Amino acid sequence: MKEDEDRTLVARCLAGDRSAFGQLVVRYQKPVFNAALRLLHNPEDAKDVAQTTFLKVFEHLEDYNPAFKFYSWIYRIAVNEALDALGTRRPFEAISDEKTDEVAGPEQQIEGEQLGRAIETALMQIKPELRALIVLRHFMHLSYQDMSDILSLPEKTVKSRLYSARQLLRDQLLPYGSALR
Amino acid sequence: MTQQRLFELINAEIDGELDAQQRAELARSLLADPNARAKREDLRRLCAALDQFEEVEPPSQLHQNVFAALQLSTPMRSTSSATRWRHAALVAGILAGGLVLLEVSKGPPSASTDVAGTMAAPTTPTLLDAVKLSDGPVSGRATLYRDRTGLSLELDVTASAPIDVMVTGEGQSLRIKSLAGQGKPAKRPARVQLTGPGWDGPGVILTFLMAGHQVGSATLRTGKGS
Repeated sequence: MKEDEDRTLVARCLAGDRSAFGQLVVRYQKPVFNAALRLLHNPEDAKDVAQTTFLKVFEHLEDYNPAFKFYSWIYRIAVNEALDALGTRRPFEAISDEKTDEVAGPEQQIEGEQLGRAIETALMQIKPELRALIVLRHFMHLSYQDMSDILSLPEKTVKSRLYSARQLLRDQLLPYGSALR
Repeated sequence: MTQQRLFELINAEIDGELDAQQRAELARSLLADPNARAKREDLRRLCAALDQFEEVEPPSQLHQNVFAALQLSTPMRSTSSATRWRHAALVAGILAGGLVLLEVSKGPPSASTDVAGTMAAPTTPTLLDAVKLSDGPVSGRATLYRDRTGLSLELDVTASAPIDVMVTGEGQSLRIKSLAGQGKPAKRPARVQLTGPGWDGPGVILTFLMAGHQVGSATLRTGKGS
């Protein structure tokens, strides 16, 4: 079971086996990088966040409580790092260029890559805290319980905020008319 | 049924969380209200599109960058005398970024001037803060660590011309001269120990100077007092 393997790897790390940490990095670099990328919409920043996440995991490994899922812990660090990075990002670093994308007319269909870009752009228009819910649910396919652990929010709050995030995203996509139909 | 209730039921349906009674309640509303059907269809398609996003491969250097950073925090042990190790650490600390000279400026009388080349403590430093530098002609990364002896600053920067870096703490400052330049990064990150009570504040401010003119700045937090 993956969670048991994680605990074993963590125990080996704490015993001084650095190769075990390497296995944790290999195991989690893709989801951590992708979570950061979807939150930040910038590969270079996402790489920095992923690196910092792993360094913090390494440095605070002794604080990890094995009673909890390791991935919840590492994703929590990654999400917080990404939100911190967004907080320090300057206004001109926002995705201003993407707003210049042509918007499809009300009757126009967009699909494939164009639809993906439209959704990514719309995602960046909603608050980062709400975006995090979309990322955890739809890109990382996590349960409400996991999201609750990662965000330190009650499940009920997770649900209501996720619903709001979806609604805002839908509203952002309205200029694309029938894009989602 | 209120719009709020409808909204909750549609979302719960998408997440597969409806029980039989709720499903029947939603079905009744959908049958009676074309707007409800349209809203449900929009949300379902949006969520389906989100779920289909493909994962991106992380940069190939991510793994090696993490381990390179970990090497920096690896406890290093002296193989000969403590004096020899201390001297090596002093040289490495000062020359890590190429030609780096340190000048200790005047601080309050109580502040220690023991800021350069202090041997790293044989414990794993804790990362306190890191900032990405993309300020005008200066780019790269500055990272602040704490170990048993105090703070240490790591600068991994590229600049279009030689730059000096003023490092200012609560009661002390120092100047790192001729760090990087000609568009080339330092060969290795420069690492500077910041020991003494003058550095024991909420953070340090970095000011980047090119030909005596400020071309950028950054703040690194220690977490103290925040």
